[in-house]
Amino acid sequence: MGPKHQIKIVLLFLASIFFVAQGCDPSKGAYTREQSSEVEVAKPVDENEEYVMVTTFVNFPMYVNHDQAAFLRWGKKMGVKTTVLGPTEWDVVAQIGVIEQVIPSKPAGLLINGTDPAIASAIDKAVDAGIPTVVYDSEIPNSKRHAFLGTDWYEIGQLQGEALVELIHGKGKIAYMGLVGQTNMENGFRGLLDVVKKYPGIEVLGKYDSKGSTENAAKITADLIAANPDLAGVCGFDAISGPGIGLAIKEAGKAGKIKVTTVDWEPEHLRLVREGVIDVLIGQKRELFTWYGAQFLYDMVHKTNQLSADDQKAGITNVPFAVNTGLLKITKDNIDLFDPSK
Amino acid sequence: MSFNSNIFQDRVVTLALTIVVLIVVSSIIWPQQFFSLENLSLVLLNLSIDAIVAVGMMILLISGAFDLSVGSVVAFAGGFAGYLMYYWGVYVPVAILAALAVSVVIGFVNGWLVAKVGINPLIQTLAMMGIVRGLALMVSGSGIQNLPDSFNRLGQAQFLGFQLPVWYMIAIVIIFSFLVARTIFFRRYYYIGGNEKAALLSGIQVGKMKIYSFILMSFLAGLAGIILASRLGAAMPTTGQGLELKVITAVILGGASLLGGQGKIVGALLGTLFMGIIANIMILARVSGYWQQIIFGIILIAAVAIDLLLQKRADRMATALVKMKQFEKFDT
Repeated sequence: MGPKHQIKIVLLFLASIFFVAQGCDPSKGAYTREQSSEVEVAKPVDENEEYVMVTTFVNFPMYVNHDQAAFLRWGKKMGVKTTVLGPTEWDVVAQIGVIEQVIPSKPAGLLINGTDPAIASAIDKAVDAGIPTVVYDSEIPNSKRHAFLGTDWYEIGQLQGEALVELIHGKGKIAYMGLVGQTNMENGFRGLLDVVKKYPGIEVLGKYDSKGSTENAAKITADLIAANPDLAGVCGFDAISGPGIGLAIKEAGKAGKIKVTTVDWEPEHLRLVREGVIDVLIGQKRELFTWYGAQFLYDMVHKTNQLSADDQKAGITNVPFAVNTGLLKITKDNIDLFDPSK
Repeated sequence: MSFNSNIFQDRVVTLALTIVVLIVVSSIIWPQQFFSLENLSLVLLNLSIDAIVAVGMMILLISGAFDLSVGSVVAFAGGFAGYLMYYWGVYVPVAILAALAVSVVIGFVNGWLVAKVGINPLIQTLAMMGIVRGLALMVSGSGIQNLPDSFNRLGQAQFLGFQLPVWYMIAIVIIFSFLVARTIFFRRYYYIGGNEKAALLSGIQVGKMKIYSFILMSFLAGLAGIILASRLGAAMPTTGQGLELKVITAVILGGASLLGGQGKIVGALLGTLFMGIIANIMILARVSGYWQQIIFGIILIAAVAIDLLLQKRADRMATALVKMKQFEKFDT
C-alpha cells in the first residue's frame, strides 16, 4: 500500500467520523420529532407532486395577477406541479363541481378560493378523502378546511366607512356598490353601514349591484350623480366598481368633489388615485393568501413541524388554523410605494 | 346502406356513440381516475341539475320556443323555499310545494304573455330573467345557510352509490321520455314546432299548449332549484347564472333545433352528459378554464355542422331513392 493510498484511507476515515458526528450532533436535530424513528420522516419532493388551486371566475384579472401569479411562482420555487382550475364566470356551483371532480385524481393539496359558504360540502369531501385543503380569501366557517388565509370583509367595509366619513367630514349623501348577494361583499356592506350609521348627517342613498361590469358601475354612478347633484361619496366593494365609479365621476367633471373609496389596487385603480378621482384604496394582500396557502399545504404534505407522533390521529394540523393577512391603505400620499413604475 | 344512413341521421345515436368513444378513450388514459364509480357518480351529480332543466327546455324547443329565465327560476325557487323554512319555520314539504307553486306562476306568466299577448319568447323570458333574479336576491340576500337537515337530506343522501339528485334526474328523464314518445298530448308539440299554422288548423289549441310548456319548464327549473339548494345545504341568489345558455347548448347537441319540431328527451340527457364528460375530462387533463370555453364553442359548431351535413346527405339519398322508384315504375 503506497503513501497515497494510506492518505486516502485516513481521509475516508476522518470523513466517516465527521458524518457520524453530524448525525449525533444535537444541534442538527437529534431531538426534533421529524428525525425520531417513531414518527414519519418528511417526504422528499416528487416531481409529480401536484397542488391544485380551484377558484371561480378563473380569468378575472385580479385573480390572475395576484392569486394565481403568486401560486404559480411558489410552485416554480418549490419544484412542484401547480394547476389552476375553475369556471371562467362567477359560478359557485361550477366551482363546487370542479372541486368534487378533482378529488378522485388525489392531488397533493387543494387550495380553494372561499367564494361562498355553499362550497363547504365540497371542501368536506376533499378533507374526508385525505387531501390537505386550505381555503383563502373568504372564510368558509362551516367547513372542515385545514387552514384559512384571508381578510375580514367586515373590516374592509369598516375601513372604507371610516375613510369616507373622514373625507366627507361626517355629512352628505353616499352610495355603495358591489356584487350584491355575494356573502363576502354583504359582510363588507354591513361593516360600512355600521360605521356610517353613527353619523346622522350621512344619508345612505342605497346599495347597488355592479354586476361585475365596469360599464354597469359607471352607469349607476352617472345616474346617481344626475339624480343627486350633491352626492358626497361613493364606495366600491368589488374590483370592477372602482374603475366604473371613476369613469362616471371623471365624465361628470366631479373628480375631487365626490369622494371615492374602493377596494383593490389594480393598475387602473392606482391610475385613478394619481388622477385624484379615487381618494382611498383598501387593498388585500392577495399574494400572501396563495403563497402561504400553498406553503401550508406543502408543510402538511411534508409533515414539516410535526407536533405529535401522528397529527392526523391527534386531530390537529401542523399549520395555523386561520391567518388574517391584513389590509393596506393606498392614498395619493403613499401611492409611489405601491406603483413604482410611475 | 339505407339502414346505416338512417341510424347515423339520428343525433341521439351519433351522440351516444361519441359518448361511448369518449368513455373508452378516457378510461384508457386515466384508468384510476376516470373509470371509477366515484368519478361517474360525481359527473352525474354535477350534471343532474342541468339535465332536469334540459328536459323542460327540450320540450320547449320541440314546440319552437325557449326560455331564458330558467337560471333565475332555479335561484329563486331554492331561495324562496329556503326563506320560508329558515325565516318563517315553514315545514319542509309545505315550503317545497310553495316554491314549486311560485315557479308554476312564473311559467304561466311567461306562457300567457307569449301565447296570448304575442310577445316574442326571447324578449319575454329575458325580461323575466331579470325580474326573477331580482326576486331571488330579495329573498336570499347574501345566501341562506343552515337549512333543515330533513331538507338537505333530499339532495345529499345516497342510494346505491349515487347522490339522490342523480336518481331524480333519471326518474324525470324516464317519465318524460315516455310521455313525449307515447302520449298524444306531448306529440302535439312536434306539430306545433314543425308548423304552427298547420297545427292550429288541425284543431290543436296552440296557445294553451304553449302556456303548458312554459309552465312545465318553470316547474322543472323550480324543482331543479330546490334540489340544488338541498344538495348545497344553502340557498344562493347567484346560482343558475348562465344556466339557460348551457342548457340550450346541451339540448341542441342532443338533437333539438332552434326552428322547432325536432328532438327527443333522451337527447337532452345525452347532451348534458356529453358536456359533463367533456368538462370532467378537461379537469382530469388539467385544461385551463380559458380552453374549456373555446373547446365547448368548437364542439357546438362541429355538432351542428355535422348534423347539417348528415341531413343534406340524407336528403340527397331520399331524392335519389324517389328518382330510382320513378325510374323503376317507368321501366316496368
